[in-house]
Amino acid sequence: MYEMMSHYAGAIGMPPVSVLTTIFGAFCVAFAVIICWGRLVEDFGPIGGMMAAAFIIGTFWVLNHKLPGFGINPELIPHPEGGSKQFGLIYQGFRGAAPWVDMGTAIAAGMWVCGLCETGRGGRVRNAVESAPRVLATIAGGIVGGAIVGLIGWTGANLFGYK
Amino acid sequence: MRLLTTVVGGAICGALVFGVWPEMWKSYGIMGGWLAATIVIAICWYMNHWIGMIWNEPGRIWVDQGWAVSSSGIVWAVVRFRAEFLQCLPTLVCCLIGGGLAGLLAAQVKKRHPAFNRKSPEAVCTK
Repeated sequence: MYEMMSHYAGAIGMPPVSVLTTIFGAFCVAFAVIICWGRLVEDFGPIGGMMAAAFIIGTFWVLNHKLPGFGINPELIPHPEGGSKQFGLIYQGFRGAAPWVDMGTAIAAGMWVCGLCETGRGGRVRNAVESAPRVLATIAGGIVGGAIVGLIGWTGANLFGYK
Repeated sequence: MRLLTTVVGGAICGALVFGVWPEMWKSYGIMGGWLAATIVIAICWYMNHWIGMIWNEPGRIWVDQGWAVSSSGIVWAVVRFRAEFLQCLPTLVCCLIGGGLAGLLAAQVKKRHPAFNRKSPEAVCTK
């Protein structure tokens, strides 16, 4: 079984079993957010949105992205082939050396597809084209923010060591 | 103008998530990650979607701050750890497939499930 599950790992870049866990994790978080978040906001207003952030995103972060942490294995559990073992549903390629794929991808894609399906049949292409610049602007914003936060690892600043 | 605030909102959300979240789980483990979700996503959602920094109109396709978190995570790892973009592609595609499936199903649920078809106005995607 395990042999079969890992047979195509080279061809598709990840073990097939990880395809299953990734799709399942992405499906769960996107479905829960689309169904629950709007209703929570309707019922509780902005406090409902903050509750949703804690309960939905926080809890699904444990499911999708957790790593062994405080009180369990704060130093991470080493993988026999190097790197650390993964425990989250969403697979991070090359034992964590690949760029981080966040479950936000799944949520945003789910929201977008849901909106597309809720549009009437005539206006789908028009709505998709209309949403494109907004999606691209959001992605561009994420690129700016992520790149600048990534740069702090490159400064090599010596805050408290200089004389 | 609204596209500019969309970029700014996305940048703040991406920077907060990947500046705060890894440090929180490294310091406090699982509970730190949960707490990071609460403080980061709550304030980002309030700014981006409740106040409306990310441009969304009623009746249009919902643009979520998840796009910003997604691109930010990839670029953050590329810049900070010199990771190769192509290596994350399989996971990215799987995430998009899973999310898309959930969107398809959720649209049907919203159309047919009695909880979404009471006399109160129907829920749009988030607000």
